[in-house]
Amino acid sequence: MLEIKNLHARIAEDGTEIIRGLNLTVKAGEVAAIMGPNGSGKSTLSYILAGRDDYEVTEGDILYNGESILELDPSERAAKGIFLAFQYPVEIPGVATMQFLKVAMNEQRKARGEEELKTPDFIKLVKEAAASLEINPDMLKRPLNVGFSGGEKKRAEILQMKLLAPQLCVLDETDSGLDIDALKIVSDGVNALRSPDRAVIVITHYQRLLEHIVPDTVHVLYKGQVIKSGTKDLALDLEANGYAGIIEAAA
Amino acid sequence: MPAVQETIDQVRQIDVDQYKYGFETVIESDTAPKGLNEDTIRMISAKKNEPEWMLEWRLDAFKRWLTLDEPTWARVDYPKIDFQDIHYYSAPKGITGPKSIDDVDPELLRVYEKLGIPLREQEILAGVQHSKIAVDAVFDSVSVVTTFKEELSKAGVIFMSISEAMREHPELVKKYLGTVVPVTDNYYATLNAAVFTDGSFVYVPKGVRCPMELSTYFRINEKNTGQFERTLIIAEEGAYVSYLEGCTAPQRDENQLHAAVVELIAMDDAEIKYSTVQNWYPGDKDGKGGIYNFVTKRGDCRGDRSKISWTQVETGSAITWKYPSCILRGDDSRGEFYSIAVSNGYQQIDSGTKMIHLGKNTSSRIISKGISAGHSSNTYRGQVSAHRKATNARNFTQCDSLLIGNDCGAHTVPYIEAKNSTAQFEHEATTSKISEDQLFYCLARGIPEEEAIALIVNGFVKDVIQELPMEFAVEAQKLIGISLEGSVG
Amino acid sequence: MNMQTKPPHTAAEQAIVDSFAEMIGQLPGDAPVTAARDKLLSDISTSGLPTRRIESWHYTDLRNLMRDLPKPGKGSATLAEPLVRGSLVLPMVQGQSGEPSAPEGLELEPFMDLLVSGAAAKSLTARGSDDLIGQFNGAFVQDGYSFTVAADTVIDEIIEIQSVQSGGQVHSRYAASFGAKAGATVIERYLADTSDAGLSTAVSSLELADGAEVTWIILQGCGDADQHLGQLNARLGADAKLKLYVINAGGKLVRQELHVEAAGEGAHLDLRCVNLLAGESHTDVTLTLGHNVPNTTSSEIVRNVVLNRARGVFQGQIRVAQIAQKTDAQMACNTLLLSDDGEFAAKPELEIFADDVVCAHGATVIDIDHNHLFYLMARGISEKSARGLLVNGFVDELIDELDNEELVEALETLIEQWLNDHG
Repeated sequence: MLEIKNLHARIAEDGTEIIRGLNLTVKAGEVAAIMGPNGSGKSTLSYILAGRDDYEVTEGDILYNGESILELDPSERAAKGIFLAFQYPVEIPGVATMQFLKVAMNEQRKARGEEELKTPDFIKLVKEAAASLEINPDMLKRPLNVGFSGGEKKRAEILQMKLLAPQLCVLDETDSGLDIDALKIVSDGVNALRSPDRAVIVITHYQRLLEHIVPDTVHVLYKGQVIKSGTKDLALDLEANGYAGIIEAAA
Repeated sequence: MPAVQETIDQVRQIDVDQYKYGFETVIESDTAPKGLNEDTIRMISAKKNEPEWMLEWRLDAFKRWLTLDEPTWARVDYPKIDFQDIHYYSAPKGITGPKSIDDVDPELLRVYEKLGIPLREQEILAGVQHSKIAVDAVFDSVSVVTTFKEELSKAGVIFMSISEAMREHPELVKKYLGTVVPVTDNYYATLNAAVFTDGSFVYVPKGVRCPMELSTYFRINEKNTGQFERTLIIAEEGAYVSYLEGCTAPQRDENQLHAAVVELIAMDDAEIKYSTVQNWYPGDKDGKGGIYNFVTKRGDCRGDRSKISWTQVETGSAITWKYPSCILRGDDSRGEFYSIAVSNGYQQIDSGTKMIHLGKNTSSRIISKGISAGHSSNTYRGQVSAHRKATNARNFTQCDSLLIGNDCGAHTVPYIEAKNSTAQFEHEATTSKISEDQLFYCLARGIPEEEAIALIVNGFVKDVIQELPMEFAVEAQKLIGISLEGSVG
Repeated sequence: MNMQTKPPHTAAEQAIVDSFAEMIGQLPGDAPVTAARDKLLSDISTSGLPTRRIESWHYTDLRNLMRDLPKPGKGSATLAEPLVRGSLVLPMVQGQSGEPSAPEGLELEPFMDLLVSGAAAKSLTARGSDDLIGQFNGAFVQDGYSFTVAADTVIDEIIEIQSVQSGGQVHSRYAASFGAKAGATVIERYLADTSDAGLSTAVSSLELADGAEVTWIILQGCGDADQHLGQLNARLGADAKLKLYVINAGGKLVRQELHVEAAGEGAHLDLRCVNLLAGESHTDVTLTLGHNVPNTTSSEIVRNVVLNRARGVFQGQIRVAQIAQKTDAQMACNTLLLSDDGEFAAKPELEIFADDVVCAHGATVIDIDHNHLFYLMARGISEKSARGLLVNGFVDELIDELDNEELVEALETLIEQWLNDHG
């Protein structure tokens, strides 16, 4: 589903290279975990997948279902089924959460040539999805993410993921700032979305999340490259022994 | 924090409203009769052996001035000035221009010694605590001495009084004079163009980094005398210069007028840093006397990537009317304005800046700290504008006022004008009194109130102080402490 | 040299003088009212329309901007549905008041009656020599409403003063008095019933007694060719709270002045202003706010969206008197300049004479937040829609603060409509 080939990318403003020849393949149905120390380029990778223009791809390609997505803007990528659950979801005062959800769902439908949702159907969908994530309906009356706690923001991200039903989900440190109960709810939400035609990339620092969302593959990112790939045991190894050994072996 | 301790010590030594620089020097002077007319201007021009074109320029300015009205928009209040009751020229007898240090009247040298201004090069070289600073000393209407001229000229830097420059480098003066502040810019600038007597001229050629700090020290000594100086600084492509001016005047019951014009020109990649420590006599505790300080200062970032930075510490003068500005004409040019304005007694300050964004990708930064005490009035007035073609103009303005006591006023009047969708301006202003929490914290540590306030004020102005050349920073901190002396009831 | 020769009248100035001569016979009022009108007109004639040299008109050079007076309008105009269903509508059709029935606790009178009886004579004065709107309106005022909400009375339905105009000149006054602990929501709404140019001036005077709580919304939806000069004067008693909304979404040349005095301890003002500016319009909102006694507070937020060749101005002056200790005043003016041909000028001003205060103002000219845009686009919302959502959100944030949900919805719909029509 996703094939990243020899990707090089830098910060557009100052030219700092962050991704330096990254290769990664994720198949449909697969849950891939990306781990790595701070500054290894994990969040940058998620932004590049989503199409943030603060980063410039200087070499290599990203193929999604066999097609390069580098020329697509973020909304076009989203309409094709790429979803990024943000590490820090932004607060947008004045924009109502429900209005936002409706516009997002209908724009994606429109882009795919599907019919727009009728308001009652839309409300029903949102209510059900919110209930499954134990989201208080009052939260949906507030402006987007405004005044949400850290945990509420993460749950709202998963709610959006559920409603937009993407093919490729990228979860950027979704576990940060979550207490154990919220972690469970969020993980259940993600696991419920696991399916043979959907891929999930879980970016995380810790093994903790991977106990709940068990990955098929684990990749270690360091200085903008994948330096080691393995199964879920690799994550356990990292938890026990840290990154130093792997980094040394790769050097 | 030794500087703070020094301030506190200084504050302790000084009696209320004692102006340290208030002494008068008895020096025989050559003074023009009171009054302003064409003859006065001809006399000034003749005294300075000026070329004919300069006299014409002055006379033209005078004609224009007669048609102008005194501006009234500033928040300052003073009795009408009788422009015929002022001497427009006064010079220590026998001096019409700078001399070698050995020829200067020892009495005059003692004045500068008393003011703490080093004029003898060998003393400066021998001293340990001072780094090398070249000084142009202006006494009433004339420059009496300019130091380090030779060493500077080796680097290609021209640093001399403007009267001398007019004779020695007429082509440069003619090319740049009045190109930043046009003759008819405003009432006081036009008056200055007609009657200016002296001031400094700096020319830094292409690619030269001026090897030392330059400074001018202005002193008004003679009674009923106006000082009208004019300064012109040009930094050619890639040049850098840092310039500092200081000003003092004796304590007198009458008000005295000071109307200066400063023009800065920075070509491609050039940088000019202009710092002022203004400590003209502010008047006594009842508001009697003091200098009327009506000054036009403007910098033209004419070249791409040029930079002009104004830093001012304003503690003196009865009335200050002053807006050092930047015209950001070159692409990617940058203007800065850092200001501390302290008013006490019956002082009135209306000061600020203008940042005019004309070129592409220009940026500006304004940090203004106003402190009002006593019965004073302290106004920040500033304009930031981005013209249609000034794509990506950026400005940040932070404008804070502190009130000490309940008989003073603090005012903030910004004019923010955007005519370009890519402009991004951010302006913040606050007014408050000294934080009770901070004060209580200091008191709880056994620091007496007056010292605690000095401490907190020093913190309040820190962002600006750090923009000053180091030794002046210490001086400025002391000055602020002294200016606020007696402000706590 | 001090004998300044007065410049000759401009076309508009002459038209005002001529128009007065023509209309004075029909304008309502007894002898003192007529004398007051004459005085005001003569002030305009002597000093002329204000220019940018008058500080309070720095960015609105009326002498230059006001070219002429409109041709006489049609005799009638058609009222629109009220903004919120069930509102009590006080109609002003082409400057004529109607005869609405008032609920209990609300005393209502056409302003014309106060002119005829001479009761309004004393109010026909200007705030100062630079008060063109007070002079112009005072000289020409025809009608309007005067109303009083009794003490301890809360009027449940929204009171909508609806002024509909089809060209010509309309000069109205609204004098509203709210008794102690009274409460009401009033909409002062301006609409055009034609595309022909019209001129309206309006002066509203609000008197809030101790503890009164009032929401007052000026909704200016004049036609694209119209000139509107509005002024609101409000005085807040002890613990009185005024929530003042100004929404400008129309007009060619608009000046809305707001003069508020926090005169009683504990008084509070919230000003929320939305300026939607398009075409070649010029819109000026000028606030002066006096914190005159201790312990008063205020918060002002102005949001501007500038499109096309529109020009916008906000001047906001906060004055804190020497005795007004513990004043807390916070003002912000944020502008989204969406066109390279548009302009916005802001002059937020603090004038402070008391030392124990917390006052701040901020002004920004910004672009749409890059992070917000990315977030929305990452959810599949096209760039155009995402920008639209964000521009809407930028102003809706202020509307959301209103308590009445129907009112919020009506205003947000109106704003969305305007943005769709002009964006």
